[in-house]
Amino acid sequence: MLAQAEHQQQSAAGFKFDNVKRNQLLTGKGFKQSTATKTGTTIVGLIYKDGVVLGADTRATADTIVADKNCEKIHYLAPNMYCCGAGTAADTEFTTNMVSSQIALHSLNTGREARVATAMTMLKHHLFRHQGYIGAALVLGGYDITGPHLYSIAPHGSTDKLPFVTMGSGSLAAMSMFESRWRPNMSRDEAVELVKDAIEAGIFNDLGSGSNVDICILTQGNVEYVRGYSRPNERVEKEQSYRFPRGTTEFYVTKTTETATAMDTSA
Amino acid sequence: MNRFVEQLTKTDGAGLGESFTGTGSAPAGLNFELASGSNPASFTQQYTDVASEKDARIKIAHGTTTLAFKFREGVLVATDSRATMGNIISSQSVKKVIEINPYLLGTMAGGAADCSFWERVLGMECRLYELRNKKRISVAAASKLLANLVYRYKGMGLSMGTMVAGWDDKGPGLYYVDSDGERLTNDLFSVGSGSTFAYGVLDSHYRYDMTVEEAKDLARKAIYHATHRDAYSGGVVRMYWVNENGWVAYPLEDVGELYYQYHPEIQLTNSTESPLRVNASA
Amino acid sequence: MEYNGSAIVAMVGKNCVAIAADKRLGQQALTVDMDFEKVFPMTDRTYIGLSGLATDVKTVHDTLRMRVNLYKHREERVIEPRTMAHMVSHMLYERRFGPYYIEPIIAGLDKNQKPFICGTDLIGCPNFPSDFVVTGTAGSNLFGMCESLWEPDLEADDLFETISQALLNAVDRDAVSGWGAVVHVITPEGVITREIKNRMD
Repeated sequence: MLAQAEHQQQSAAGFKFDNVKRNQLLTGKGFKQSTATKTGTTIVGLIYKDGVVLGADTRATADTIVADKNCEKIHYLAPNMYCCGAGTAADTEFTTNMVSSQIALHSLNTGREARVATAMTMLKHHLFRHQGYIGAALVLGGYDITGPHLYSIAPHGSTDKLPFVTMGSGSLAAMSMFESRWRPNMSRDEAVELVKDAIEAGIFNDLGSGSNVDICILTQGNVEYVRGYSRPNERVEKEQSYRFPRGTTEFYVTKTTETATAMDTSA
Repeated sequence: MNRFVEQLTKTDGAGLGESFTGTGSAPAGLNFELASGSNPASFTQQYTDVASEKDARIKIAHGTTTLAFKFREGVLVATDSRATMGNIISSQSVKKVIEINPYLLGTMAGGAADCSFWERVLGMECRLYELRNKKRISVAAASKLLANLVYRYKGMGLSMGTMVAGWDDKGPGLYYVDSDGERLTNDLFSVGSGSTFAYGVLDSHYRYDMTVEEAKDLARKAIYHATHRDAYSGGVVRMYWVNENGWVAYPLEDVGELYYQYHPEIQLTNSTESPLRVNASA
Repeated sequence: MEYNGSAIVAMVGKNCVAIAADKRLGQQALTVDMDFEKVFPMTDRTYIGLSGLATDVKTVHDTLRMRVNLYKHREERVIEPRTMAHMVSHMLYERRFGPYYIEPIIAGLDKNQKPFICGTDLIGCPNFPSDFVVTGTAGSNLFGMCESLWEPDLEADDLFETISQALLNAVDRDAVSGWGAVVHVITPEGVITREIKNRMD
């Protein structure tokens, strides 16, 4: 019985398209679809003397509304690889997640740490197969057996391998910092400082980017992930409390459900 | 002569003003610039026609409940007070009754600017009529003045559904006038997105021989039910009674409170004692 | 979203969370139902609020209920709010190119009594804020209310007032939501559910 029910819900892998026709009909009748969360985004990466530094802002938007003020755009891919995502937030989230599990299986199969190029190929194949409909623009960085690597991957599946890359709506602002200040064989401190400045250029000059700077430093056998490396937009403390006195709100039905003594979730 | 007065009294060259208004002078506000071309109306229609859901149209605020009915002691006029811009409620305290003069009221549905502008023009015309003829204008004549005024701009995007209510030599008067040029008279009208709900209440309880209090109760109930079911109506109930001495305005009644008055069985509380802690100690 | 109208908000308090929703079901301007459920208890301490197209609210709730029950049978434990958030997120992303027109909010206490809230967009992009989440046609109004009213570490009783007033004032400026509201305050001792006084226009 249980197995049957599980079988029914776990149909073929991949996307489901059973709502498509209905949705087209609704759209045709003038039904408005709500906007998916996007990451306007400034994401960057650069190669320095000992490895790779990735950077990202933390703003997520739904149209003109800031949907999330402190989201994570540097996604985990493998112990030696991280990937910044720009574009449709759900796409970057799920694409990196899926490739991450593929890489984990790949490492288990081969008994080796996966190479950055392998992850890049998996990502570009996935994106190319969907012809740009998966709106993920990625900056992939990692350190493998062959050294540091940095790629940019566009939503249609094209890739670039470069010593410094920027993506997202703030990519021009960030690139202006890289173009003027990047040099080969920078020190770790110089590299981190430059990445921070590039992201901040995006935060301040691009309306789609904002809030904080996340940074991820990948070196041989080591990863340092810093959430909120720089927080140039801390909210000042409220000047007044708008707390309502208890009893302000009138109500007419009260129902209480007591929890059975400390929920048993330990099993 | 003052240029403004000159403009008011001079006969309109086009001739339409004279023959349509019948006042012998072109009404003010007839000198709007029209779109150039051979057919300004159809050109303008592309951008203002509400029925055709075009993207690049000039959007006009809609959503209202207004009603008026004749009864034994005069005319009762009632409206809601909500204004919306899309789904945003832009005001809960709009005045949708326009006091044209102490004996005439106009109601507002459709474009707020169109209604208030043209009923202001109507007010002026009515005053000019009084000065010329040494007697008050009849409700029939006033409503026809308005109908003729807006008919000149038919098809160019004016949007108004209005009721003209008043008192004249013949007694209570009630007319419906809209921007298509329609003009009707009857004992009972309701206009706006909430009108269907208001009609439901009015039609089932309306009697001609109501007292003023009964008429107010009916109007209040009709507006309340319309605000309850129609998303674009709400705020307060605004009521006017027109009798032989002119109109009387009544205090505003908040619809938010009316619901709980109509439903006394709902027991409200704001007890600060947390029910969980009460239960726990028991 | 605009077709049926809705407003849902969840807030974090001190050792508690609250989730509140309006009760209107409309067909554009016409209010059809004033007792439409949009917040559903999924476990003792995890609630989900579904805003958007009403038909999808029902479908997603039913599907999710099935999955949560299957999880319980398979794992022999109650699902954690965070796990459920990922479950919902996957359910929605599976239909990336033919989505359900809903935007869910999940609120609950985890096994360590820690407050958890999460919101996703219609294709399942998760969002885990530390303060509040909003969704529905009154979403932008709710954002404004929450940004000014919310403060950290509100006790359950204060959280009830804050979330209630945020919702009430947000729906009072939205034509297509309101018509009654329900508030659930989830505490380690249990859940307090209240239907609060609201304008009915």
